[in-house]
Amino acid sequence: MAGQSLSVETQATAVAGQNLANVSNPAYADEQLQVQAAPSLDTTSGDEGTGVQATKITQLWDSLLNSQIVAEDSVSGSLNSQQSALQQTEAYLNEQLSSSSSTGTSSSNGLAADLSGLFNSLQTLSTDPTSIPDRQAVAQSAQQLTQQFNSVSSGLTTVASDLNTSIQNGVTSSNNDLSQIAALNEQIINAQADGGTDNNLIDQREKTIEDLAGYANITTSAQSNGAVNVSIGGVTMVADGATPDSLQTYTNSSGQLMIQAQNAGTPLTLTGGSIEGSITARDGQVATLQNSINTLASTLITQFNSVYSGGYDLNNNNSTQDFFTGSDAASIGVNSTVVNDPTTFQASGTSGDTGDNTVVLSLANLASQSLSSLSNQTLSQSYAATIGDFGSALQSVNSQISNSTAVSQMLATQRSSETGVDTDTEMTNLMQYQKAYEASAELVTTVNQMLETLIDMKTE
Amino acid sequence: MRVSSSTFTGGFIGEIQQLEQQQNTLQEQASSGLSVTLPSDNPSVMSEVLNLQTNGAANTQYQSNITQLQASATTSATAMNSLQTIVSQVNEIATNASSGTASSTQLSTYASEVEACIQQAMQLGNTQDANGNYIFGGTDSSTKPFVATTDANGNVTGVSYKGNTNVNQNDIGLSMTVATQVPGENTTGSGAEGLFADSRTGADLFKDMVSLQQNLASGDTSAISSTNAPALTNDENNIINQISANGVVQSALTAANTMATSQNTNMTTEITNDTSANMAQTMTELDQTQTAYQAALESGTMVMSVSLLNYLQ
Repeated sequence: MAGQSLSVETQATAVAGQNLANVSNPAYADEQLQVQAAPSLDTTSGDEGTGVQATKITQLWDSLLNSQIVAEDSVSGSLNSQQSALQQTEAYLNEQLSSSSSTGTSSSNGLAADLSGLFNSLQTLSTDPTSIPDRQAVAQSAQQLTQQFNSVSSGLTTVASDLNTSIQNGVTSSNNDLSQIAALNEQIINAQADGGTDNNLIDQREKTIEDLAGYANITTSAQSNGAVNVSIGGVTMVADGATPDSLQTYTNSSGQLMIQAQNAGTPLTLTGGSIEGSITARDGQVATLQNSINTLASTLITQFNSVYSGGYDLNNNNSTQDFFTGSDAASIGVNSTVVNDPTTFQASGTSGDTGDNTVVLSLANLASQSLSSLSNQTLSQSYAATIGDFGSALQSVNSQISNSTAVSQMLATQRSSETGVDTDTEMTNLMQYQKAYEASAELVTTVNQMLETLIDMKTE
Repeated sequence: MRVSSSTFTGGFIGEIQQLEQQQNTLQEQASSGLSVTLPSDNPSVMSEVLNLQTNGAANTQYQSNITQLQASATTSATAMNSLQTIVSQVNEIATNASSGTASSTQLSTYASEVEACIQQAMQLGNTQDANGNYIFGGTDSSTKPFVATTDANGNVTGVSYKGNTNVNQNDIGLSMTVATQVPGENTTGSGAEGLFADSRTGADLFKDMVSLQQNLASGDTSAISSTNAPALTNDENNIINQISANGVVQSALTAANTMATSQNTNMTTEITNDTSANMAQTMTELDQTQTAYQAALESGTMVMSVSLLNYLQ
């Protein structure tokens, strides 16, 4: 009886030790050794206790809380990847306000300033249409504007391709997690079949499921054999110890990288996780911004060239060449002939009258013209609205993240409160086990002494 | 509520993180003086600022146009005033000659005086501005507008106009345009009025001065009184009209400049109001956040440093 008691206290100490070791593991659920009085013996003098026995080690699981944490992981995974993509985009837009004592608050690096720069240089030229330096200034400011268009466009392309890379990485990591969950399922099923439960493996599986939820929104279902089956977008990816399917990227009809189930071949529509966040950012705000900037560039090219083509240069030529080349933000450029020889800029509206400023003035006035292809806004207004819309999108993601963070934190607090390890409790328990162990040992010593006394009595 | 060890540390870390973020935001605002720096900070303010900035840049450009136009209007005005002085001198000669009391010597002195005036008027007609443009050639600013033909004695017998009758319009504000150019001559009957000759007013200064000079030389005082004197009065009136028109343009330029300046001041104020951090508020909040941060750190370390372990031997 005393020996059994010693062994139970040792086991309890081991559980406390295990709990203490996992004090900072968030997915770890506090374990407790369940003990009960050993069956008593029916004696003539009544029931006589036979000591204590350990029944099993239980965990303080709260599966509802865990599933909420898994769902929240998908939400924050999606938002975080959207946030980082949009922040990167915001940096590429180069519209940052700074304050200086001479000019007050201004943003002087982005497209807005360069658009103003072009139209202002045209205004200057309109006051002295034959001036070569003023013509050079027009060519330079136009080049600066087109380079800015090119740089914003390539920045957005970089963001989109980074997002594709992160989708690829997300798929690889998800598939690793799926295999790991299946492997852990296998071991848990075996352990349970042998009549035990392996709490450590369950903890580890929970951690992996939460990691997976960060990449893609998943549905889990606990099986009676101890396994947890996982499905993504309605396709079962983990069934007991097997992975019947996995994630795969494919290129859809519009050339975008998307996700499908590898074996079932069905396209998956995800609603959470970083993979979905990357797709949403790429096909949502980043694509919208890219379109708006392209429309802005193509409108500028068309409108400018149509006025410009009616003009005459300083040598009285009306060339059929365009001023702006290209068709969108990525390809827009300035005709090299004008850059190399500013006298070829077609500022005059009348043949033989080089001092005329009709065309250059019309070009300058494009700045304040409402254009139908830009929803009846001017070029600058349209760009400012684009920036405003983009800013709102990022602002909304930012505030959603702070909400989601608060929810995650609340859930984590709740879980740690319900299932977390408390060192003080464990230390108190440990002392209790120690005292009980000492007492049991004392019992052994006492019985031993009693036996010795008896033996001594006999040998005397 | 049961408090486990990780409940406490997790909560503590979350709290500290939040306070650090707040401090960071406030510190950025305090050091830049701006409450908005990126589009996502305040999208509507950002897009409004971009629009205001575009309008402000356009206004500054209008002001630069105005400065340039004022310079050329002033150049024109100076030339036109000098021209008027010459024409009134010629008019005086015509009046004196038409009285019929002048001797023939007197008349030939007058004739050479008028000849000198024609030369001076030619020079004024070919005035160039600071950029080397002829200001009385219409938009054909690179061609010398007035060319004289002379007889064997070197006297001017006729002046032909090589410029055109077009004038450039320039922007001095949103939907506000002005033309400062004056064509030297306009005999087309439409467009901007010519300074030296215009078919609508019948003015033709060079022709009338040459005719006066020739009549003085030949002593034909009756022709001077019947034809030259009234014609030259008409020419002078034409110039006076142009001078007053120039005055109107100049005051329009000044008004537009004042308007652009005050608009820019308003816009700058608007941008500043939209984007500036309220320093008093920012600093107070920063102070509060810092106090909270210190309190959190202090209480956190106070609680965390003590556990049952401290009392176990």
